Amino acid sequence: MTEIVLDNLGKSFGDFTALKDMNLTIAQGEFVALLGPSGCGKSTTMNMIAGMLEPSEGQIRFDGKPMNGMPMARRGVGFVFQNYAIFTHMTVRENLAYGLKAQGVSRAETQRRVGEIAQLLQLTDLLDRRAAGLSVNILQRLAIGRSAVVEPSIFLLDEPLSNVDAAFRAVMRQELKSLQRQFKQTMVYVTHDQLEAMTMADRIAVMDHGKLLQVGTPIEVYNHPADTFVARFIGAPGMNLLDGRITGGDSGPVVDLGAAGHSGPVTAPGTGPVIFGFRPEEVHPDPNGPIQMAITMVERIGARIILHLAEGPHVAKAVLDAETQVPDQGGMIRFSVPAASVRLFDAQTERAL
Amino acid sequence: MQRSLSFEIFRYTAIALFLALSLIPTLWMVSMAFKPIAEWQASGADLTWWPENPTLDNFRFIFGQSASELIVALERTAGRPILASLLSATFGTLIAMFAGTSAAYGLSRFGAGGNLPLALVQLRLFPPMAVMIPVMIMWAFLGMIDSWWGLALIYGIVTLPFAFWLMKTFFDDMPREIEDAALVEGCSRWRVFLRITLPMMRPALASSALFIFILNWSDYLIALLLTTRDWVTIPVYMASLSSSMTGQLYGAKAALGLIAAVPPVIMGIAIQKQLVRGLTFGALKE
Repeated sequence: MTEIVLDNLGKSFGDFTALKDMNLTIAQGEFVALLGPSGCGKSTTMNMIAGMLEPSEGQIRFDGKPMNGMPMARRGVGFVFQNYAIFTHMTVRENLAYGLKAQGVSRAETQRRVGEIAQLLQLTDLLDRRAAGLSVNILQRLAIGRSAVVEPSIFLLDEPLSNVDAAFRAVMRQELKSLQRQFKQTMVYVTHDQLEAMTMADRIAVMDHGKLLQVGTPIEVYNHPADTFVARFIGAPGMNLLDGRITGGDSGPVVDLGAAGHSGPVTAPGTGPVIFGFRPEEVHPDPNGPIQMAITMVERIGARIILHLAEGPHVAKAVLDAETQVPDQGGMIRFSVPAASVRLFDAQTERAL
Repeated sequence: MQRSLSFEIFRYTAIALFLALSLIPTLWMVSMAFKPIAEWQASGADLTWWPENPTLDNFRFIFGQSASELIVALERTAGRPILASLLSATFGTLIAMFAGTSAAYGLSRFGAGGNLPLALVQLRLFPPMAVMIPVMIMWAFLGMIDSWWGLALIYGIVTLPFAFWLMKTFFDDMPREIEDAALVEGCSRWRVFLRITLPMMRPALASSALFIFILNWSDYLIALLLTTRDWVTIPVYMASLSSSMTGQLYGAKAALGLIAAVPPVIMGIAIQKQLVRGLTFGALKE
């Protein structure tokens, strides 16, 4: 239960700037996901919080205390590595007890806490097995247990679920979340999977190219992306973004989309080039709809249909209920987008308008 | 995988040929070690694959109990050379492993030593003959000629590059996250190295040590130049097993060769588990 402050944090490796001007305050007991594609600086940020890397600029503070130069052993953080970093020459029990032993916790106490965490993570039956040769799913729980057992005030997880299979990933998402509710640690979670971030985090920090683009609750980030990158990155599939121009219409300004028609009335500050954004789920098939696009592919995935659309320079996707009647591949579809669901972005800066 | 029958036949023939090439000479040595003089001296028609009258005379001979048929007296017995080989090869291996492992860890983890690897490879480019004469002079100055410790020191130096290179590859392959994980849990660097890194490196240490021990164990040139009588090693001693009267004492040589094969084999068996287990570091995703 520690508040983490990242103050103008920056890191460069020689000429390469991995992170720049990172400002983020993570409240006590908060679960924050650092989300972004590989190379966006999220792991660098995490490693600096843990103390594996020294910041080139700026400061990290835990509860107001500057952490720059503090060795990682004294920061009180738990770290779960992407590749688990299990000590394979030890048994499960020895792995779990390792941190407590290093901190000089008494034998009886170690025994008790190892037993507890093993119970919680369903590792009790495996305590005396050697860690080498255990399955990935078990190694993953062991890695979490080994970090959790010392009850660190800050828990850092570096893509812990990226190697486990899909079914187990869903289970672990829930377990991690309930674990965090139980221990009430401050949790920082690095991931490139927007679904993990959306389902677990209290707040998401979206990063790209070493910059923090947006911080907010999952719903905020989903509904009001700060720029086109966030819009595309959050949601599966991401937001549709079409280049258009704002022109005056009969009933107020509309976005002219060229061959694809035009949008419904929008509230826009002026005229000129704009990026017209809408979620694939907000496509409403409508024979009189103002937008018209060709269907290039129809994907039926059980409960939903995903349409791949194209028209002139524009490409888009639409997510519809399975019952919706849609033309086949090669056909045309007309649709409308509710005005409340339209997001406009500046054509130059790509920032939300 | 489904393989055709002809391929299987080819494969096993190749394996059998290879085994024959490598094992028949060894078997010949074993057989000869137990032959009485008449049999190993025999040529042509009398040659037998297996000793017809097996005897331990060859062993008795090299340990100083003169066998009835061999009239030659030995200048010295095999006991001392075996001790010399054991001491110099073991301590040489320890020196090389200790220095090589430390250097490799420093370079692999902290980049200490910059161009050291290249310099060490260059060391291997020298023909040993070219370096050995200066070494001989230095060792004479230091009073280390004809001593097991002088030999152990030069063995350690000569095999250090091997130890370094082998261990460096192993350290490079070991994920740093494992050490970081221990550091985050509150361990000191030293403790991490001793309790995590080295134990996980056990298979690497074992296989490197065996390799280097065998190099040292079978050295002839260095021992020939740096020892004279008290501490000659097995290979040098073996070369001396001949006389103007009898010619090469093949039976005695075979007996000694058989003894010389024992320590590496014992070592190999002892660390077999480590060798076979291989290097499954950290149970990582692949």
